[in-house]
Amino acid sequence: MQLEHCKHLNKIRIEAFRMASFSWNRKIGEKVSKAAVQQFEAQSTKVEDHVELEGVDWLHAIKRRREVLLEDCAAKSKGLKDEGAQLAEQSRHWEAVRKWDEAIQLTPEAAALYEMKSQVLIILQEDFPAVQAAEMAVKLQPLWWEAWQTLGRAQLNLGEVELAVRSFQVALHLHPLERRLWEEDLRWALHLREEKHAMKQKAAQDDQTRKHIDEPPELQQDYGDFESDEVIAACTAIADRQKRFEELRRNITVDVQDVANEIGVSNSNKNASNYSLVKARIM
Amino acid sequence: MSTQYSILFKQEHAHDDAIWTAAWGKSEKDGSETIITGSLDDMVKVWKWSDEKLELQWTLEGHQLGVVSVDISHNGAIAASSSLDAHIRLWDLDSGKQIKSMDAGPVDAWTVAFSPDSKYIATGSHLGKVNIFGVESGKKEYSLDTRGKFILSIAYSPDGKYLASGAIDGIINIFDIATGKLLHTLEGHAMPIRSLTFSPDSQLLVTASDDGYIKIYDVQHANLAGTLSGHASWVLNVAFSPDNTHFVSSSSDKSVKVWEASTRACVNTFFDHQDQVWSVKYNSTGSKIVSAGDDRAIHIYDCPM
Repeated sequence: MQLEHCKHLNKIRIEAFRMASFSWNRKIGEKVSKAAVQQFEAQSTKVEDHVELEGVDWLHAIKRRREVLLEDCAAKSKGLKDEGAQLAEQSRHWEAVRKWDEAIQLTPEAAALYEMKSQVLIILQEDFPAVQAAEMAVKLQPLWWEAWQTLGRAQLNLGEVELAVRSFQVALHLHPLERRLWEEDLRWALHLREEKHAMKQKAAQDDQTRKHIDEPPELQQDYGDFESDEVIAACTAIADRQKRFEELRRNITVDVQDVANEIGVSNSNKNASNYSLVKARIM
Repeated sequence: MSTQYSILFKQEHAHDDAIWTAAWGKSEKDGSETIITGSLDDMVKVWKWSDEKLELQWTLEGHQLGVVSVDISHNGAIAASSSLDAHIRLWDLDSGKQIKSMDAGPVDAWTVAFSPDSKYIATGSHLGKVNIFGVESGKKEYSLDTRGKFILSIAYSPDGKYLASGAIDGIINIFDIATGKLLHTLEGHAMPIRSLTFSPDSQLLVTASDDGYIKIYDVQHANLAGTLSGHASWVLNVAFSPDNTHFVSSSSDKSVKVWEASTRACVNTFFDHQDQVWSVKYNSTGSKIVSAGDDRAIHIYDCPM
């Protein structure tokens, strides 16, 4: 039981590291991972040797047949995964997703398939399914930082800034060496969080000011003499407030444009999907 | 006094998110026992351990981006904490007030560890430097250079002679603190070393790695004295018992294991957590163990004495 469990974990992990050297996406293989692959591969062959040494009885024969079947599924799944990757490379994204869905039917616990699918769904601006796929990847493989990174990116596109920040934090805690996680993913998510916060505050301020304009406190009292200095002061105050309100509104518009422009500059390849984020935020 | 290993107490939902770090301290002043925990929810919580249960004493706010590491000074008066935003904060455990906040610079604080005299705090940096901050001054006093990679783990030897650091590429460095010289560089593991600990007599160094192994080194000669396997996934934390005979490890396989130092055998496995166990520590006598992890729970275990 324990052995089976180990083997299973190793297999998943090897999948993940193979994934790391997979080339069309933005992920780079690490020296550390290579060493790990060798080590885990050596380990898993050892485990298999043990199984064979234990001799053949009927129980093992059935187990063996099941293993052969599973290996068959794994091989087919691997083929489909590679085909999908080639399609993704040619920007045939939907076809890639279909290949990987087929592969998922064969090996429903291969985290890499969900993670790659999520990346392509992000490109396709299928933001909600992208989050779902990445969530599946981190559930199957919680120690795989790249799956958390992809989940964070998908969440960001969906406008879930807080959740995205959390996902990037988890990724960094697992793998603090990754500069892009710090400098691009986390920094960008924190920037958006700040903007969102500032905009919320402005909206609250906006509401407050509007209320004051609709029901100016100066008009709440009775004035005996309409020509008096008091009335003139009240009118000036109301006019000032209206002017401030106009200015505030102008500022908000400028801010929204700033965000949009920055998205354009820093992330040109994900332009479209980020624009939808901005839309969500303005609403 | 217990004669066997058993779980004594569970604090479920101790934080709003994963707990990444924990420490156990004892106050010199009144002998009270304090456990502190740090979480992805940005909070540091201070718990009193008395009458075999935990009571929340302070919730310390101020960190951003998740609390990576906490430690308690040896007199039990001050706590240190570090977060992903590279700030180290010092807290007065009596009043629950922040004493100091130090910005270590981008990505330059991971594990924090008090020196045996509690005058300094050591933390590793992403460029392979061990930075030593003064507790009084609140400033960086000096640094030790490993010329290596990102340092994830730090430990002082209890006799105050050595400082060991574990890097993300699996390299271990041991410094002589008096001269600041790098004594040994050990190619211990092929994967990140998330934790290391000295034995109370400062003779042994135990390291924990993502490769799933625990290694024991003889400090003086820098010889590998043993390689321990048993965890089915990353080993996230190790801590030596004050009795010098046992140490404890926690892993992302959700287990906590107690090992006998002399035989290198696992003498007990706790399978009580629902998720990865990021942190594990002994109390000052070695009669209890605390563990905490992604399931947001704090567990206290009884150890035979």
